[in-house]
Amino acid sequence: MKLNRIGAGALLAVGLLLAACGTPTPAPAAPAATAKPAAKQVKVAVVMPSASNDGAFSQSMYDALKAVQASMGGEAAMKIAVSEGMVQVPNAVAAIRDYAQQGYDLVIAHGTQYGNSLTEIAKDFPNTAFAWGTATDTFAAAGVKNVFAYNPRAQEGGYVLGVLAAKMSKSGVIGVCGPVEAGDAKTYVDGFKKGVMDTKKDAKINVTYTGSFSDVSLMAAAAETHTKAGADILTGSSQSVVGAIGVAKDKKAIWFGTQANQTSLAPDTVGASQVYDWTGVIKEMLDLSAKGTKGGKAFELSLQSGGLKIVYNDKVSIPADAKAAADAAIKGIIDGTIKPLP
Amino acid sequence: MTLLPTGRARIDELRMVGITKRFPGVLANDGVDFDVRAGEIHALLGENGAGKSTLMRQLYGLYKPDAGEIRLNGAARRFNSPSDAIHAGIGMIHQHFMLVPALTVAENVALGLASSRGPLLDLDRVSKRIEELGERYHLKVQPDAQVWQLSVGEQQRVEILKALYRGAALLALDEPTAVLTPQEVGEFFKVLRRMAEDGHALIFISHKLHEVIDISHRVTVMRDGKVVATHPTAGSTRERLAGEMVGRPILLEYDKPPVPAAAANEVPRLEVEDLHVRGDRGRDALRGVSLSIRSGEILGIAGVSGNGQRELAEALTGLRRVTRGRVRVNGRDLTHATPQQRIAAGQSAIPEERMKDGVVRDFSVSENLILQDHGHAPYSRAGFLNTRAITRDCAALVKDYSVKTPALETPTKNLSGGNIQKLILARELARKPTLLICAQPTRGVDIGASEYIHQRLLEQRQRGMATLLISEDLDELMALSDRIAVMYEGRLMAVLDRADATPAKLGLLMAGVAA
Amino acid sequence: MNELFTVPVLLGILYSGVRLATPYLYAALGEMFAQRSGVVNLGVDGIMLMGAFAAFFVVSNTGNLLLGVLAAMLVGLLMGLIMSFVSVNLQAEQGISGIGLYLFGLGLSSLLFKKLSVSTRAIEGFPALPIPVLSDLPEIGDVFFKHNILVYIAFALVPVAAFVLNHTTLGLKVRAAGMKPEAADSLGVSVARVRYLCVTFGSMMAGLAGASLSIGLINLFQENMTSGLGFIAVALVYFGGWTPLGVMIGALLFSMVNALQLWVQVKAIPIPSDLAVMLPYILTIAALVLGRRARQPAALSKPFSRGEN
Ligand SMILES: Nc1ncnc2c1ncn2[C@@H]1O[C@H](COP(=O)(O)OP(=O)(O)O)[C@@H](O)[C@H]1O
Ligand SMILES: [Mg+2]
Repeated sequence: MKLNRIGAGALLAVGLLLAACGTPTPAPAAPAATAKPAAKQVKVAVVMPSASNDGAFSQSMYDALKAVQASMGGEAAMKIAVSEGMVQVPNAVAAIRDYAQQGYDLVIAHGTQYGNSLTEIAKDFPNTAFAWGTATDTFAAAGVKNVFAYNPRAQEGGYVLGVLAAKMSKSGVIGVCGPVEAGDAKTYVDGFKKGVMDTKKDAKINVTYTGSFSDVSLMAAAAETHTKAGADILTGSSQSVVGAIGVAKDKKAIWFGTQANQTSLAPDTVGASQVYDWTGVIKEMLDLSAKGTKGGKAFELSLQSGGLKIVYNDKVSIPADAKAAADAAIKGIIDGTIKPLP
Repeated sequence: MTLLPTGRARIDELRMVGITKRFPGVLANDGVDFDVRAGEIHALLGENGAGKSTLMRQLYGLYKPDAGEIRLNGAARRFNSPSDAIHAGIGMIHQHFMLVPALTVAENVALGLASSRGPLLDLDRVSKRIEELGERYHLKVQPDAQVWQLSVGEQQRVEILKALYRGAALLALDEPTAVLTPQEVGEFFKVLRRMAEDGHALIFISHKLHEVIDISHRVTVMRDGKVVATHPTAGSTRERLAGEMVGRPILLEYDKPPVPAAAANEVPRLEVEDLHVRGDRGRDALRGVSLSIRSGEILGIAGVSGNGQRELAEALTGLRRVTRGRVRVNGRDLTHATPQQRIAAGQSAIPEERMKDGVVRDFSVSENLILQDHGHAPYSRAGFLNTRAITRDCAALVKDYSVKTPALETPTKNLSGGNIQKLILARELARKPTLLICAQPTRGVDIGASEYIHQRLLEQRQRGMATLLISEDLDELMALSDRIAVMYEGRLMAVLDRADATPAKLGLLMAGVAA
Repeated sequence: MNELFTVPVLLGILYSGVRLATPYLYAALGEMFAQRSGVVNLGVDGIMLMGAFAAFFVVSNTGNLLLGVLAAMLVGLLMGLIMSFVSVNLQAEQGISGIGLYLFGLGLSSLLFKKLSVSTRAIEGFPALPIPVLSDLPEIGDVFFKHNILVYIAFALVPVAAFVLNHTTLGLKVRAAGMKPEAADSLGVSVARVRYLCVTFGSMMAGLAGASLSIGLINLFQENMTSGLGFIAVALVYFGGWTPLGVMIGALLFSMVNALQLWVQVKAIPIPSDLAVMLPYILTIAALVLGRRARQPAALSKPFSRGEN
């Protein structure tokens, strides 16, 4: 009897199955028995590293897809398939290939880490449009024609929120909870720092990185450390900041969010959020794709394009002069008189 | 009801009837009948694999019999686990100690027992009781010593105390003397006799004939899962018991012609002068050993294990560095020679750890047979193994030395201990060595195979081979040696002629007492 | 560097250390019992995730914190029974089974979170419970005596665990089962029962560890919110030499080094953040390498059977 082998194997198999289920890939389009036979249904798939309700990076994309879908006329006009929680790149790559195989019009690889594998897949499916971000490279140099790239100028909103923070801090100490020193997290933090320093020379900005996008408890400890060091304003990036926002709430500090509107996480604590609004980018990619251009363009979310928005929380009162300074900063960034990065 | 000094009721009679136990491919017990009474020491004798342990494990509730019945004082009982057996007053000392080395003696004894303090341990009380019992049965141990710190003999005592503490009225002792020195065996037998006098029923398992004759009242002999004989011990000889065990007449003492007188210019086969080597812990394991062996002579080395015998064998086979002294083989200085150079000089070796140093477990029988000779003709030509020659010669060796193996390709680890030893013997003797360094040649080997190995060694002696025979088995040393040296703490206490070497004399020397 | 070693910073490190150590402590104390009985349960992280989710879910629906804790422990108990069954009855390879259990917990907690909760949102978790008098002590009061009750319980469990292990008949059985199960078996101790008990208890503690995160420390749930914390807890058992005190020292040391590295960054000590982040792990590995393996339960991760059939 090899019961022992079977036992371990069975548990492992169930575990793997559930790990896969935790990140479900919807079955291919069900026969549209109830749906009206629309002119043509557009099919968009997205693969993301965390949950669609993470209150941050993945949610920003998910919300945008939903918004586009609504504006186009719902399910019948646009079908969305989502693979979330794709922490393991090989699994994500398999999902991307699957979607391409199933004839999706646009396959979005929502994570910088997925990029490397995209060049090959894209070559295998020249009639499918792919998109990845946050990134600026469409692999045109490598002869790939059907990959879009998108990148938020996170530093722009970061700068504006930095201005707000500098105006509102009473202690003059501001804490920044970074995840990994890379990508839009880094540009956000750099923009934020510049915004603070340009507004208040003697302010003190303490920056920490936890080395993880998901370590909630270490992020909470980071926030705690910042408040112990005197910070009364906190900000941070990635899905792991939920822990930090909780600390900000406990310590009565003000939090500035990025990526998605984080007000709902702590309605009395979040002062404002920089919100990524991908709807414009998604629409444009779909338009181009319908016209036969399957890639080659790098999009940037910016304050100017409206892809980045500063969303205030009514429950947290923002002094008028702070708001005015923020508005001025937005204007300056749009007209180019302010450079948000050092 | 008669009570034992421990306050528990006696077991007047235990009877096992028609016990049958089958393992995949083996009928370990085949309709075994066995009984023991209060006050009796009943020996259970049999070769390795005869089914003795299996029988006892069923008595102790570790295995369930496929058929048969266990009757205690006439009533049929069923033991589903050791705790059932313990409750019924049965104790068992296992072949391999069932002690937790990192726990103290008291903790080992208290394990699994209810405590007088409910869920809390009551080690003080346990310790006191251990001391009382130790007093009564001459089983002195420190209750708060950790078991790993104890000598093997002391650990044995803890095992017995565990059983007595639980009020065992019947004790099954599975090869309890296998790990004891002759001195410890003497002490141990006193304890057993004492317990029997008090009314305990004792089952004594062994395959050592003189022990069985020495200690038991009755003896039951098992072979291949069956009982072949049960009779009073008084009046039975070692030859009779050995014959019953093996199923054919067995020689225990051998006729051998004396070593011829030395020729005028004869060079000793092995000369060792003032040999020093370090042990594994850095201390000197050999401290000035000198000896010499002539052609056609067997020199036995007796001693309690750990007195430098292993290091001596390793030094003489090139596995351990000599720090001082000189070794000459056939007149040539081989003090620092490699194992290969020694083989070339006509030396062979039978290592003590046969599975570790004697064979490669996972190699086939034939691969092990040519282990040292595979590099040259006829087994190797231009770097390729000559399979035809190998198969031919190996088949002959396996036949000559009656190695029981299903095939030449069988992995060596699947053979029994006796057959592996025969395989090593075949390989080492096929070279026609002039000197053999031979350590524990029959440890763990059945009597039948032992007798065979002994005959082969004597045959080579006849041919003129010199043998250094290191053994912990006094019977073996006395049967084979022409002279016997006793080792104690890295030195030779004395070298006796076989005729002068009595067990009593040897025992004293082994304990470090000069004659 | 001098900036780092000021009283407020050191107190801050202590405070964060104590808080962060809590989930490690629950998980590692539980795992220590499983390992002392001879079973390595690598599924701790998965059980923590399930416990964290169960507690979060129950509290966000009922508002009852005690109920949340019980839910986490119940989930731990069920997963512990699975692990016990697989490792004791089926005698399966424990490492692989544990990884399976981890993946199971990771997947199921994510799935349930998505199906049952609308979004990540904070709940009211255990409030800080200042201990009268002691919490008024200057400096020290804040650091040690103004935590939530789950923190106190975790530390109180350390001496309790040590006592149970060393001074009760049950503890003796546990130690024997992990060092030499055949010896325990030969004295009528059911090794299977002891291992079931320890693995299940350990898993309940892992569930509680999850709750201490989701309704004690962070007050919300996130997919994979432990992010490997349970594996560190397993390492801490080795680190702590399989003793409750050692485990506690390990948990505190690990958390405090983690807190320290955050302060290193806050104080802008010029060490790359990537390096600072690695500090606790480097320490753990170093301690494991240098640690005394001699203390390891001799039968750790070896299934036990009498060899009958
Ligand atoms: N647990 C087991 N599983 C399979 N075979 C066994 C087991 N225990 C013993 N045997 C086999 O049963 C036979 C009797 O073994 P044992 O009772 O140990 O012999 P003894 O104690 O007389 O040396 C041997 O052939 C042995 O290989
Ligand atoms: Mg046996």
